Amino acid sequence: MQQGREKLVRLYRLMFLTRRTEETTNQLFQEGKIRTMGHWSTGQEAAGVGVGAALRADDCLFPTHRAWPEFIGKGMSPRSIVAEFIGKGTGCAKGKGGLHISSAEHGVVGLVGSLGSDFPIAVGTALSAKMRGTDQVSCAYFGEGTATQADFHPAMQMAMLWNLPVIFACVNNQYVELVHYREVISFDNLIDLAQGYHMNAIPVPDGNDVVAVFDAMSEAIARARRGEGPSMLEIKTYRVAPHFTGDTGAYMPPEEVAAWKARDPIAGCRARLLAERALSEGDLLTLEKEVEAEVREAIRFAMESPHPSVEEAFSDVYATREVVR
Amino acid sequence: MSRKILYVQAIGEAFAEEMARDERVFVMGIDVTRAVFGLTANLVDRFGKERVRNTPICESGIVGAALGAALTGMRPCAEIMFSDFTYVAMDQIATQVGSWRYMTGGQYKAPMVIYTLDGGGMGLGYNHSGCTEAVFQGSPGLTVVAASDAYTAKGLLKAAIRSDDPVLFFGHKALLGQPGEVPDEDYVLPLTKARIVREGGDVTVVAHHLMLHHALGVAAALEKEGVSVEVIDPVCISPLDRETILTSVRKTGRLVTVEEGRRTGGVGAEISAVVSEEAFFDLDAPIKRVGAPPIPVPGSAFLEQTCYLPGPEDIRKAITSIL
Repeated sequence: MQQGREKLVRLYRLMFLTRRTEETTNQLFQEGKIRTMGHWSTGQEAAGVGVGAALRADDCLFPTHRAWPEFIGKGMSPRSIVAEFIGKGTGCAKGKGGLHISSAEHGVVGLVGSLGSDFPIAVGTALSAKMRGTDQVSCAYFGEGTATQADFHPAMQMAMLWNLPVIFACVNNQYVELVHYREVISFDNLIDLAQGYHMNAIPVPDGNDVVAVFDAMSEAIARARRGEGPSMLEIKTYRVAPHFTGDTGAYMPPEEVAAWKARDPIAGCRARLLAERALSEGDLLTLEKEVEAEVREAIRFAMESPHPSVEEAFSDVYATREVVR
Repeated sequence: MSRKILYVQAIGEAFAEEMARDERVFVMGIDVTRAVFGLTANLVDRFGKERVRNTPICESGIVGAALGAALTGMRPCAEIMFSDFTYVAMDQIATQVGSWRYMTGGQYKAPMVIYTLDGGGMGLGYNHSGCTEAVFQGSPGLTVVAASDAYTAKGLLKAAIRSDDPVLFFGHKALLGQPGEVPDEDYVLPLTKARIVREGGDVTVVAHHLMLHHALGVAAALEKEGVSVEVIDPVCISPLDRETILTSVRKTGRLVTVEEGRRTGGVGAEISAVVSEEAFFDLDAPIKRVGAPPIPVPGSAFLEQTCYLPGPEDIRKAITSIL
C-alpha cells in the first residue's frame, strides 16, 4: 500500500514536471527567444513517464522525438534537457546533439533523427548486455508511425532469434505527423505486429493510466532480466499537442481533442491521489510549487548558459584524432 | 620473418588474431560461419557461434546492431558481403555510426568495423560489382580505408579493430586470391597514412585496389620508355593523407587519379580538388582522372570489360596525354 502510494506520487511528480518543463520551454518559442524545433508530449505524458521510470539508470533507452516524458522518467533533469535542447555548452552533449538529446549517465543512449534507425541499435545494446553477462535491459520506445520503418523488421527478428533483453514499447498516440494513423497504417492495433514474430505481447489499452503503463513495462523488464527474452508493448493514448512547434494541429477534430483532454493523464492521476488520500490538496500544491521552482530554475540556467565554445564544433568527431578542417 | 599468404587469408588472420587478443571483438553478418568469400573461414570452429554470428539478411539491421554493441562496450565487426549493399545500410553508416560520438558530445564512442568487398570483373552486373568507398567521403566521423594487398589488408584490419573510432574497411574481390608477403609477427598499420609504392619523378599516379596493380604494371612499362612514374596507394580514402599526395605532386608537377568506381563524385574528384586548391601552381599539366563511366555496371561480362572497367590502357593513355 505504502509502496503503491509512493509510486503514484513519484509518477505524478514526473508527469507534472514533464508538462511544466515543456510548457515553459514552449513559451520561449512563442516569445521568439530560441531557434530549434520542439515536439511536445501534451496528453501522452503517462506513456513516456511510465516506460522511462520503470527502467534502471543503467538500462539503455532509445526514445522518440517526443521524448521529454521518457527523459524525465529515466531520471534526467530539466536543467540538462533544456540546456541541450537549445544548444548550450552546459547541455548533456555540450550542445552538439541539440534536440537529439542523450545522457550516458541515465542510459539515454541517443535520440536518432531518422526515427526507426534505432530499432536495431537497441537490439545491439541488448546483444552487448547479453554477451557481457549483465542484466541490463534495452528499450526501443517508438510511435506507431515509426513501426512502418524498414529497420523494425530485422530488429524484431534478431531480438527473437537471439532471445535478447529488449523491449519494443510502441506509444500509439493516433497521429503520424499530420495525419491520423489509420490513413497510413492498414490496421488498428500495432500490438498485432508482435504475433508474426511470436513475441510476448503486452497491450496497454489505457495509456493515460500511468500506473498501468509502469506496471506493464515492469512486467516486460522483469521477464527480460530473467533471460526470457523480448516483449512488445502497445500503449494507447492520444497526442493532444500538435506535431511540432510550427504546427497548429488544425487537422485534429476539435471534439476529438476535447474528449481526450477530458481524459488528461495528469489531471487523472491528481484526482486519483486525492481520491485514494495518497496526498492532500495542500500536499499537492506544495509538490507542484516545488516543480514550478525546479522548472523556472532549469529555464533560467539554460537561457543564461553560454554557447558552446567555437572549438567544440570540431571536437568529438573522432575519438582517436583531431578532425582535419 | 615473413611468409607468402593470400589476401583473403591475411584478412582471416587479422580477425583470428584480434579475436584471440580481445574477447570484446566479434564478427557478425550474413553467412559468416560459412563465409561465402572466405574472409571469416573457419573462425567459428575456434571462437563459436556467439562471436561468429550469422544474422538475418538485412544490412541496415546488421550495422545498427553492431553500432549498439559498440556503444556499450563491445568491438563488433559487421560484414556487408558486397559493397553495393552498403546502400541498404546507408542511414546507419552515413548518419548514425559516424555521428553518434559527436551527437552525444563524446559521451559514447563507436569502436566498430564495417568490412565489405568492392569490385567488378566477374560478370555479376549492376548490383554485385560496385565500388562504394567514394560515397562515404562526405560522412563525418568515419575512417574509410581500402586495402590493396595482403600485407596492407592484415595490418589495416587489425588497426581498424583496435581503433576507438568506426572504420569502413573496403577489400576487393579480384584481390582475394592474390599472394603477398606478410610478417609472422603481430603488426598494425596506420589507418590514415598513404603509401608511396613506387618512386618516380615525372608524374604522380594515385590508385587503390586492383587499379593500383594496373598502375604499377603501367609504370614499369613506361620506365622502359623513359617515363618515371610515382605510384601512391592512398590507403585511407577518407580522410585523405593530403600531405603525401601534395608532396609528390609538388615534385612531379603532374597527377593522374585512378579508381575502379565511377569518376563522377569519385575518390579522384576529391583528390583533384585538394590538389587544385593546394598545389595549383606546382602543376605543369591538367589533372587526369581515370574511372568508370556514369552508367550502371553492364551485366554482360564483355561490355563490363570493354566499356565499364578502367584498365591498364586507360591509365597509360591518361599518363601519356599529360606528359
